[in-house]
Amino acid sequence: MTVLQLDKVTKRYAEKTAVNGISLDVQRGEIFGLLGGNGAGKTTTMRMVLGLIYPDEGKILYNGKPYSNELLKRLGYLPEERGLYPKTKVSEQILYFAELRGVSRKTADKDLKDWLERFGVPEYYNKKVEELSKGNQQKIQFIASVIHNPDILILDEPFSGLDPVNVELLKATVLQLREEGKSILFSSHRMDHVEELCQNICILHKSETVLKGNLRDIKQSYPKEKVILETAVPVSGLDRLDHVSLVKSEGNRYELRVSVPEAAQQILQQAMAQSAIHRFQILEPTLTEIFIKKVGDGE
Amino acid sequence: MRGFWTVFKFTFLNRMKSKSFLVTTILFAVLIAAGINAPNVISSFSKGSTTTVGVFADTTISPALIQYFKDKGDTKLTIAEYPDQGSAAANEEFAKKQVFDKEVKGFLVVQSAKEGQFPSFRYLSQGTFMQSGPSTKLEVALQEIKLSETVKELKLTTEQVALLNAPVDFEPIQVDAGSSDTPSHGTAGAGKTPSEQLVSYILVYALMILLFMALSMYGNMTASEITAEKSSRVMEVLITSVAPLKQMFGKVFGMFLLGVMQITVFILVAVINLNLPSNRDFFISNDLDFGSIDPMLYVYFVLFYLLGFFLYVILYAAMGSIVSRTEDLGQAVMPITLLSLAAFYIGLFGINAPANTFIRVTSFIPFFAPNVMFLRIGMSGVPTWEIWLSIGILVLSILFLGWLSAKIYRTGVLLYGKRPTIKEIRKAMKAYKL
Repeated sequence: MTVLQLDKVTKRYAEKTAVNGISLDVQRGEIFGLLGGNGAGKTTTMRMVLGLIYPDEGKILYNGKPYSNELLKRLGYLPEERGLYPKTKVSEQILYFAELRGVSRKTADKDLKDWLERFGVPEYYNKKVEELSKGNQQKIQFIASVIHNPDILILDEPFSGLDPVNVELLKATVLQLREEGKSILFSSHRMDHVEELCQNICILHKSETVLKGNLRDIKQSYPKEKVILETAVPVSGLDRLDHVSLVKSEGNRYELRVSVPEAAQQILQQAMAQSAIHRFQILEPTLTEIFIKKVGDGE
Repeated sequence: MRGFWTVFKFTFLNRMKSKSFLVTTILFAVLIAAGINAPNVISSFSKGSTTTVGVFADTTISPALIQYFKDKGDTKLTIAEYPDQGSAAANEEFAKKQVFDKEVKGFLVVQSAKEGQFPSFRYLSQGTFMQSGPSTKLEVALQEIKLSETVKELKLTTEQVALLNAPVDFEPIQVDAGSSDTPSHGTAGAGKTPSEQLVSYILVYALMILLFMALSMYGNMTASEITAEKSSRVMEVLITSVAPLKQMFGKVFGMFLLGVMQITVFILVAVINLNLPSNRDFFISNDLDFGSIDPMLYVYFVLFYLLGFFLYVILYAAMGSIVSRTEDLGQAVMPITLLSLAAFYIGLFGINAPANTFIRVTSFIPFFAPNVMFLRIGMSGVPTWEIWLSIGILVLSILFLGWLSAKIYRTGVLLYGKRPTIKEIRKAMKAYKL
């Protein structure tokens, strides 16, 4: 079931085009990754989804229906930068945000306590935000975006500024929300997070969609160019093979790049002729590599 | 409407609970109470104290002066006689010494006069010409003494003297242009007696000062709160939770109510203090009766205060929404601050010239109308239709500027970075399809 659908959405600011013809679908219980460098059009796209600005062309549908003010209650938004009242108590502002989205104070209060418990920080209930560390503020920010139990969550760089323990905590939470059937539009610069969480991605570059689709399919569509080899004794002559280039070697560990798939087998044969093999692996490209390749092309 | 009330409540309660609000409210209330009680307290303090003026003893002037103040029952001024020092120079020297030694407040020196003429006088004291002290009283007394001397010389009958002294029946009444009622003394709509004018004068001043204070406090508070929400990026959460229009008006009304509440506290303090028995008697004895004027003046006071306040708070809100850093705010609200300052100074000018054409014109310009129209009502007569025309223009401007501010707000909250120019805001409005 498509919860959120963008259909050829274009946004122009005067002479500059911010987003050009982006199309994407987010299903129920899906985390969709929106990637792109700085100024690629991610924030504009998110703002359009949030109904803050209207597209010049194309349309955005929520459960098949166009935007209406009622939708605000069903959208949750985690902005890239912290957006909390520094001098107001955590409980006061979270309850305020919840109330603004039509949740009763009583329900919100109970949910807030549950969330604080879940993040292991129940003592923050009566603290002022400015007293908390940046990472802990991010937890509160996250609670603010989910306190009204929205169906559609828009998370702009949710893990920035967090230590590894808290990244894992929040990641687990995001995954759990997906299990609960939320639709999540997720943006990040951290490709490893995207790879871990998203089924489908869309890469934006300079307001154009440069790559879009299922993450598995995308990865498989790229040739497996990277070969890792570990041998018992040093081997020689690998880089003299056709279509092979040596990227890196450390002791008996070699990292190679092949331009045709068959070349990988030649590497293996060449190595086996000289030494016992501890490890031979043909790697699919990482998202980072795909991203750099795609975005780099545009330069 | 739910969003509106939530924002309203949050803004209002958050501010009301803040320490700074409590402190300023209490501080001002105390100041007001002190200010109202001060005249009475000061006058009761000075009741016991008397001023002594020295004079050289002679056969005519000094006994006459002593007799004069005795007859008047003036206990605040005593005349002390000193023996003549022989020469005019010695007299002057002696008088100066008495003044410097603070034996007397001042010294009245009689100059030698030609035969058959009333002498001239010099009053020596350390006061400047502004603090004349007893010199006015002395002058009046000497005038009286001179008169009775002359009367004695002319040998007039008592009837003739009484006739000479009978005061002119003179009562200044201001003509009210706005009323077609048959004039009757001292009632509403038919001009004002000096007492009524004094009360109106105080009310006009109070309105101008209160409005100016409220604007510089609450206007800036509203603007900086909005800017703070932008710079702390809370705005991004807010605008995705509640429609910007509800949010802005919730905030504006929250601030507005807070300001009105504070002013109500001040007015209550003032009214209670004015009605303390001691103060009431004091003010009435000084020809100041707050009950004597047309109650409509109080209605206009409240009306113009509320409308003026609201108009400006809306503008401040719009200005607050276009900047993203608190540092830039002062610059952005400058035009509004200048407007409110202009309104204040036009008001000050208008008090002395309420019938001036410039004042008439500005009383219809919404930014100045609250001060200027009210001072026209208070200080002179204004036809009722002019008052309501001005109020009508004010209300329409509030509606228009409210709409415009909402648009600016809606656009401004999404603009980050440097302070946008008017052109950039218009461009953004178009781009956002607002």
